[in-house]
Amino acid sequence: MATVVFDSIFKSFGSTKVLHGISLDIANGEFMVLVGPSGCGKSTLLRMLAGLEDIGGGTIAIDGRVVNDLDSKDRDIAMVFQSYALYPHMTVGENMGFSLRLRNDERKRIEDRVAHAARILNLEPYLKRYPRELSGGQRQRVAMGRAIVRDPKVFLFDEPLSNLDAKLRVAMRAEIKALHQRLKTTTVYVTHDQVEAMTMADRIAVMNDGRIEQLGRPLELYDRPANLFVAQFIGSPAMNVFDGTYRNGAVEALGARWPCSAKAHEGQPVKYGIRPVHFDFGSGVEAEVVVVEPMGAETELVVKIGGQSLTVATHGRSPAAPGDRISLAPNAKHAHLFDAASGARL
Amino acid sequence: MTNRKLLSEAKLWLVAIPVLLWTLIPIYHIFLFSISTKDSAFSGRLWPDHPTLHNFVTVFKQEHFYLHHFWNQIWNSLWIAVAAGAITLAIATCAAFSISRLKAKGGRTVMNAALFTYFIPAAFLAVPMYKAMGTYGLLNNRWSLVLAMVTLAAPYAIWVLKQASDKLPWELDEAARIDGATPLQLFRLVYLPLMVPSLVAIFTYALLLTWNEYLYAFLLLSHENTIPLAVGLGHFLASDDSPWEILMATALIYGLPPAAIYYAFRRYMVGGLTAGAVKS
Amino acid sequence: MTTWQVWGALLLAPYVLVFFVFVLYPVSYGLWLARNPESYRTLFEDPIFFTTVVNTIFFLLVAVNLKFVLALYLSGFFVHDRRWIRWLSVIFILPWAMPAIPTIFSIRFMFNPEWGVVNQTIFRLTGLDGPNWLTNPDLAMAMAMGVHIWKALPFWTLILMAGRLAIPKELYEAASVDGATAWQKFKYVTWPSLRTLYITSTLLSLIWTLGDFNSVYLLTGGQPADKTHVLATLGIRYIRLDQLDHAMATIVVALPFVLPLVYFMMRRLSGDEQKTSQ
Ligand SMILES: Nc1ncnc2c1ncn2[C@@H]1O[C@H](COP(=O)(O)OP(=O)(O)OP(=O)(O)O)[C@@H](O)[C@H]1O
Ligand SMILES: [Mg+2]
Repeated sequence: MATVVFDSIFKSFGSTKVLHGISLDIANGEFMVLVGPSGCGKSTLLRMLAGLEDIGGGTIAIDGRVVNDLDSKDRDIAMVFQSYALYPHMTVGENMGFSLRLRNDERKRIEDRVAHAARILNLEPYLKRYPRELSGGQRQRVAMGRAIVRDPKVFLFDEPLSNLDAKLRVAMRAEIKALHQRLKTTTVYVTHDQVEAMTMADRIAVMNDGRIEQLGRPLELYDRPANLFVAQFIGSPAMNVFDGTYRNGAVEALGARWPCSAKAHEGQPVKYGIRPVHFDFGSGVEAEVVVVEPMGAETELVVKIGGQSLTVATHGRSPAAPGDRISLAPNAKHAHLFDAASGARL
Repeated sequence: MTNRKLLSEAKLWLVAIPVLLWTLIPIYHIFLFSISTKDSAFSGRLWPDHPTLHNFVTVFKQEHFYLHHFWNQIWNSLWIAVAAGAITLAIATCAAFSISRLKAKGGRTVMNAALFTYFIPAAFLAVPMYKAMGTYGLLNNRWSLVLAMVTLAAPYAIWVLKQASDKLPWELDEAARIDGATPLQLFRLVYLPLMVPSLVAIFTYALLLTWNEYLYAFLLLSHENTIPLAVGLGHFLASDDSPWEILMATALIYGLPPAAIYYAFRRYMVGGLTAGAVKS
Repeated sequence: MTTWQVWGALLLAPYVLVFFVFVLYPVSYGLWLARNPESYRTLFEDPIFFTTVVNTIFFLLVAVNLKFVLALYLSGFFVHDRRWIRWLSVIFILPWAMPAIPTIFSIRFMFNPEWGVVNQTIFRLTGLDGPNWLTNPDLAMAMAMGVHIWKALPFWTLILMAGRLAIPKELYEAASVDGATAWQKFKYVTWPSLRTLYITSTLLSLIWTLGDFNSVYLLTGGQPADKTHVLATLGIRYIRLDQLDHAMATIVVALPFVLPLVYFMMRRLSGDEQKTSQ
């Protein structure tokens, strides 16, 4: 177990700057998720922590010790790759014990530790099999087993679930989470899937274009996104955002008045954001239903207001049909205001 | 079968038969000679009146002037081919690993140097090589042929092995590094086991190339005790009244093993073939 | 340098050594030997040299092109998905899989004007003497080309076959649906996909055919009267005569032709490499 500290990390590949000064403190035993759109630099950051990529600038410390110049093998970390990277010519047991074998551990000790990890991950029946004889989910577990066996200071995951089908992904999500709760090892987990981030993380760092946009607990990010980017990235279905002008404690936009609790200057151009679930039906803004997407437990409506498409989510079934005109009441408490120019939260 | 099907089938046979004859006649001709007696060899028949294995006995007992060193020569051929195959394999594997997996500095330049050697016609390189071997004092030493063949075989070997290496997932190396592997452990425990099919192909390639080589062998080696069988066979041409039936028996003994090895490892070879292009 | 870089250099070193000792030094030294204009004067005055150059040009133009047209045609035959054709292709590889000496000697004996099986058969069937296959220089050159083709054809057929097999079947199916004839399918589907491979292979084969020593030497030995040499055998002939500067000069004369081709091929393979590494 250990803390991890990134201190103003820079990185460029040739002339393209990829990371612009990232600082991030990860606490002992914390499950930290780095999330962001494709190409934002989260893998690069993780790989620098793993020692697979040179550190362009700044320092990385594990457990208080700067590791910039340490080889991967001396950093006491374990990593789970998106492609699992299992050694095809070794059995499951050999795969899991490989790191110990390289350290010249005793046979007995290796076997014990592999058996222990296999028990935790329900891999006992498969120890003699080769990776090609396993299903995707099982391979995923072997990759985790390989990490567990070493009992490292830090676990690193780079999109470990994106090669699995949707159902397995949900199951493995829970398994990784349970594993973390059991082992309490500091974990850095990279994903571009905000649902994964929300469900697994102790804290999330939302990255965009080589910067951390916001750092916080999952629900903090959901309830109080620091800027437009986070607002639109976190939450599914995504938040509705449109331009408006702040007047008299509300926002005028799309030919209607939208209530809000945040304050802005009179006449200030703002972006108004509201999540699809934060509408009530009743008196308010007039809308025309365009599409109805029933999903069983809830229904999503795509509606048109003043020429703009918005998403509205309701619990249960909705009687609405395309072409219907309905009236929506936005929940002022849950409305978000952002500065139109900077995108910062107001 | 419909008429049209019959017609297209007939068209295929119309190609197949000439191809078969074209391919097999010279080879059958060797076989025919090798089982014929001296008199019947030139009768122009398709099958000898009295097929005999006598020629092979003559060869194995070294009972002819040209064959006094037969066993010695076949041993030389084998020794040189295996040595060249093994050294090529070792050098090329190290180089390919270094270029492809360790991304060694200058790897690209070395690859280009190898490709350059690969494309230069072998008979052209033979002239300066002959001179250099003389300078090194290696002429008439079996090692000269071994080293010359390593020089000729290594470029293609490196190229093929590099192509194959590049296909291995990069994450395996990264996983091994994180697992604590040193470069040599990565090479030994991860890289080599995964490359086995390509290694077999490359060893076979270098082995056959060397066994089959004539030009370099006859340039670099001329002493009776050092020459391989290929050069020994060439000596039969020294006079016009050579014992052809015995020559052909020897040639068959010399020519069949590489063909057999080729077929045994064809599965490996064909993959390598289409990956690049083997020197013909 | 990290340990990884150190090992990278160490593992590369053996080949670099081989290259320096057995390629770079010999070639540089050879070129230095060939610096004397006098060697070229005597070379150009040697009538054998002129014949050889003409032979070589013919050999390259005729043998390589004939070989590739045949290979192109036969690759189309061998891609047919029949069990017996697969077996035939296995046999077809034999000339390439076997060493050169036995088969070329065999051909040499078959075509011996006096007691070779070919002329004997001709005599038995017609009562006439067959041609002097190997003692008439023009015929002998043609025979050498034949031998070269016999030996190298399987390999290039295999390469072009691989090229053909890489063409998606759907293209042919679509063409069939559109009512294309066999020739139109070749012209609009096969050839456009195969052209690059065909041209690259031809160029590569040009270089290598230039270095084909066996087909000529083992068949004719340059005889009669040194009239059937090509550059490859002529260079070796000068070595045997202990005229190393002439041997090198022979090769240097061909370099203006060889080096651009080598450069082109290296560019191509390096280019391919960049594509695959991305
Ligand atoms: N080896 C490299 N050479 C050059 N550019 C690179 C290299 N690795 C990454 N990049 C660039 O750096 C940027 C960040 O890459 P990174 O892999 O960290 O993204 P990511 O956030 O993990 O994205 P994804 O979700 O797609 O995995 C990208 O623009 C990428 O093109
Ligand atoms: Mg990534």
